[in-house]
Amino acid sequence: MARILVADDSETILLLMQTRLEIAGHQVETAVDGQEVTERLDHADPHRLPDLLLLDAMMPRKSGIDALRELRALGVQTPALIVSAHQDAAGAGAPTDLDINGYVTKPIDFDRLLESIAELTRR
Amino acid sequence: MSPSLANRLRIGFAIGFAVLTAMAVIGVGRFIQQRQEFEDAIARSYQIEMAARVRLARGNGGQEARKAVLTQGRRRSELRDQISSDTRDTALLVAAGLIAGLTGALLLFSGLIASMRRPLEELVDAAGRLAAGDRAARVKVGGLAETAALGAAFNEMADELEREASQRDQLDRLKDEFVLTASHELRSPLTSVQGFAELLMLERDSLTPKQVDTVEIILDNCRHLVRLLNTLLDLARSDAGRLTIAAQPTEVGPLIDDAVRTMRAQTEGASQHLTQRVEPGLPLVNVEADRIRQILVNLLTNAHEYSPEGASIEVNARAAGDEVEIAVADNGPGIPENQLDHIFERFTRGDAGLTQRVGGTGLGLAISKSLVELHGGTIDAASTPSVGSTFRVRLPAVGAAPGAGPYRAAAEAS
Repeated sequence: MARILVADDSETILLLMQTRLEIAGHQVETAVDGQEVTERLDHADPHRLPDLLLLDAMMPRKSGIDALRELRALGVQTPALIVSAHQDAAGAGAPTDLDINGYVTKPIDFDRLLESIAELTRR
Repeated sequence: MSPSLANRLRIGFAIGFAVLTAMAVIGVGRFIQQRQEFEDAIARSYQIEMAARVRLARGNGGQEARKAVLTQGRRRSELRDQISSDTRDTALLVAAGLIAGLTGALLLFSGLIASMRRPLEELVDAAGRLAAGDRAARVKVGGLAETAALGAAFNEMADELEREASQRDQLDRLKDEFVLTASHELRSPLTSVQGFAELLMLERDSLTPKQVDTVEIILDNCRHLVRLLNTLLDLARSDAGRLTIAAQPTEVGPLIDDAVRTMRAQTEGASQHLTQRVEPGLPLVNVEADRIRQILVNLLTNAHEYSPEGASIEVNARAAGDEVEIAVADNGPGIPENQLDHIFERFTRGDAGLTQRVGGTGLGLAISKSLVELHGGTIDAASTPSVGSTFRVRLPAVGAAPGAGPYRAAAEAS
């Protein structure tokens, strides 16, 4: 269904996300931090960009928020969900100047996540 | 070194005593002297008269002696007038001196009182401000030694309080940071445990019933851990006054749907009847959806855990004036009256008999109350033992159309 780029610094979480999203019929690529995300998308064919980014908010080297900020500055409009362990990620600490399409809190409610993905990748 | 109150009082008393003594000595001395002079003059006058009379009796006094007898009579009467006038003057002088001395003493004391009044007033004012939480409240040290010492002691105490308060602030920050970090660090492995258990459940057809039960236990405990983590986090924030909400106009119905859906598996597991009734045409409420969902799940979890198998649990939403009331009612054992008063306090839980099998933290209702109040709403509980309990949340309604929030819109539009 959709091509999704998932970034998380925990291999276990990556494996979990990949498995759940693939069971739901999505095609999943993984990255271990924001640095890898920006490098990968920087060299990607503009017509082969993923349909959705699922980025962990806190990662070593480069956080999901920083990676998304760079991508948005480069003109990448791919919908993005930020995954955060903070219960109120969308509340007080959320960057208001960044185009984020939604927040996912850990532990992940996959039913809701899959609904959001369907919503954001519907064409 | 500032002049001391005790020294000033000593000097004041010494001067006063000296003035009064001097007045007394001068007054009495003058009185005695005048008296002496008066008596001497009277005696002399009698001697002259007696001598004149003797001369007259002998027959050799003549005109001059007769005149002397008459003159001396007048002279003594003048002297008597003189002495009574002198005595009056002396008494007046002593009285004037006493009044002057007393006036001086009064002036001295009122000066002392005035010089103490300002520092004391300043102290009272600063102590009031300190008690009201103004940690910077200090007094100017000066004036009499006593008030200066008092002021210095006050300032020292205020410094100490400020030091302690800043230490406490730092400890609070560390505690919050610790809770935040711990909750953050625990969430990732918890996500994995819960996620993989859910993966197993996706293939429940290939699991034995015993394995399904096992996975369900794992999932139950995951949910419980998440609730605990969230509660701890909220509590730390609430203590630090940093519990905030991002409110936006929200429909009540879907929130209740969500909460009921979250609880459905658990209530069905206990054969409890969970029903919901939402009055049509309810106004929107200005809330943070996740928070209200959290409150409803808290209330439903309590209803579920404190009610026996087969009990009924109802969620009702209705308009009540310019508020929307959401009531969670059960027909469980109810809450004894003496516990009802304390039910929203921390670490208050139902009586031990029930609590044995209830996995609560005693914090859920305390947090729910804080959250409802942050939304500008109220929460109360009513209960009749062996009939059931009802928890009512009232939230202020808004007339505005549902606004698409900046972030939640994507995840919540449905």
